[in-house]
Amino acid sequence: MHTKYPILTTLATLALATALFSACNKSSGPAGANTTSTTTPTRQFVIGMSQCNLGEPWRVQMNADIAAAAAKHPELKVIFKDAQNDTLQQRAQVEEFASAKVDLLIISPKEAQPLTEPVAHAAAAGIPVIVLDRRLLGTNYTCFIGADNKKIGRAAGEWIVKMLQGKGNVVELMGLQTSTPGQDRHSGFLDGIAGSDLQVIFRADMQWLEPNARQEMESALARFDKIDCVFAHNDDGAHGAYLATKAAGREKQIKFVGIDALPQEGVAYVRQGILDATFQYPTGGAEAIDTALKILHGERVPKEIVLGTRLFDKDNVAQGGVALK
Amino acid sequence: MTENFQSGKKNALVLAIASPAGRALLALLLVLIIGAIFNADGAFFKIGTHRDTLRQASVYGILACGMTLVIISGGIDLAVGSMLALVAVCCAQMAIHWNWSGWLVVPACLIIGGCCGGVSGFVTARLGVQPFIATLSMMVLARGLAKYASGGMKVSTAIMNPDGTFRYVEVPRFFRLVDHHILGGNLSVVTLIFAACVATAWILMSKHRWGRYLYAIGGNEEASRLSGVPVVAAKTLAYVASGMFAAVAGICQAAQEQQGDPEAGMGYELMAIAMVVIGGTSLMGGRGGIGLTLLGVLTIGYLDKVLSINAVPEAGRLVLTGIIIVVAVLTQRRKRT
Repeated sequence: MHTKYPILTTLATLALATALFSACNKSSGPAGANTTSTTTPTRQFVIGMSQCNLGEPWRVQMNADIAAAAAKHPELKVIFKDAQNDTLQQRAQVEEFASAKVDLLIISPKEAQPLTEPVAHAAAAGIPVIVLDRRLLGTNYTCFIGADNKKIGRAAGEWIVKMLQGKGNVVELMGLQTSTPGQDRHSGFLDGIAGSDLQVIFRADMQWLEPNARQEMESALARFDKIDCVFAHNDDGAHGAYLATKAAGREKQIKFVGIDALPQEGVAYVRQGILDATFQYPTGGAEAIDTALKILHGERVPKEIVLGTRLFDKDNVAQGGVALK
Repeated sequence: MTENFQSGKKNALVLAIASPAGRALLALLLVLIIGAIFNADGAFFKIGTHRDTLRQASVYGILACGMTLVIISGGIDLAVGSMLALVAVCCAQMAIHWNWSGWLVVPACLIIGGCCGGVSGFVTARLGVQPFIATLSMMVLARGLAKYASGGMKVSTAIMNPDGTFRYVEVPRFFRLVDHHILGGNLSVVTLIFAACVATAWILMSKHRWGRYLYAIGGNEEASRLSGVPVVAAKTLAYVASGMFAAVAGICQAAQEQQGDPEAGMGYELMAIAMVVIGGTSLMGGRGGIGLTLLGVLTIGYLDKVLSINAVPEAGRLVLTGIIIVVAVLTQRRKRT
């Protein structure tokens, strides 16, 4: 490298970095350092929240849910950290929160093995820990809150059996099959359709990605003249499949079912008549704050809270869906 | 090569196959033959399959057009996937949320892409940072900007009101136009856009002085400088063009998904590079062309489709794609004389 203006370059870089840094600090996303600090006579509680990554809208939603729930309780102050999908960075965040002696730690861990011990250290130092969505090994935490992908997959399978009256041709667009949610949604779905005359005629791994789902669906449409239903492991996949089918002019003959039901994605698609149903994969953000308040006020909480799912279809979407057991 | 062929006809055929274009065509033919054999109950012979193959390959192909310009000048552009995402997000914001007309959205998107490419080009050509590093920085930067502009969420037709509820708007007409089929439903508009990009790149490279500059710079940068080629300007412009092609790809992506996804385009840069290289354009710069890239785009596009209609499991797909890319590149390898 032979730049002619080393000083100029350095200065420009510094200026840019400073500007960006201050901009990022001002508002780091919808769930930035949301500090609800009003002067109240009651004790202030500081909650540290370590999110494994904010690359997925679902996790952005989780942080937003936590921030919204916490905003209703002025005595709570939540500090958000994003580990950017880096296990060691998340470990460092847990250690930072522990040494800052936060009143409670919420962690949505990237992986179980490497984060179990750091969390156990924090718990041993007397900090209550709520584990969200993904599990850790052992029981060195206060409470686990998460949903059951297998149950959701089964609920989707059972709904499809009911809709198609027990028989028909189904295309399954699977989430990444090397990930646990993808595997669980798949095996749950198989449980759900077991015993019916439903045939899975085409099955492809679309890796949670909409463009891939669209391509796979085009292949399925080219091969099969009679498809009754598409079950995609996420709403993006179902949306991509719908667009492919609409381009082929066959969207009236096929039902589309997805999972996740984020307000601005799956639920919106059901409202717009794109999807026939979506099953919520809850973030647990609001439940985490409820549980945190109980812990902070000295109440007992269960070791494990399994969240239920909600079904959104065209009949109930206006009422906010129905809860499934 | 030995010179003991009996007929001149045969000689001509061998020479044709030995040329880079002939070899790239051979790779494409091979994939097509595989498709004809494993035709998934005749699905491969339907017109719709070919329309969809070309539609799916178009976004990659548009990126590959820009990538070809940059690679011929001896550089590389790793930022195209991120620039695509940034433009997709901005495009969705302007077209869906702000309800701007397509006549305004497209130029604005091209400017955004051109500016990003311009920064990469300036850092590479003027400040002398290696293209790999300069565009790697832009790849991270543009991804960050895309996430910042969208707040990490997809920019879709569901718009959040200040009170947290949602209102829903129509998909813009201009999106529907881009994601449309013409000629009795047998050709996607995005494929036409891809064809227009290929034509533009071809004209720039073979009919314009700038194209010859790029070949010269890729061949020998120092010699070009000494013979009066405006190296810095020509190189910077290559990155600007790559950014603008990425912007076109971003518009197509947003229109096809009906939303702007800040995570879109992950890994697309590698796919675009693979398409350029399979075509036979040299990564060392100075040799190759847009026609070769077109063959590379079709080869990978059809390979993808053949694997997809046969529902080959993911693991097998990755292995097969890897093997075929290596074989295709090996057949492209020229014997240095």
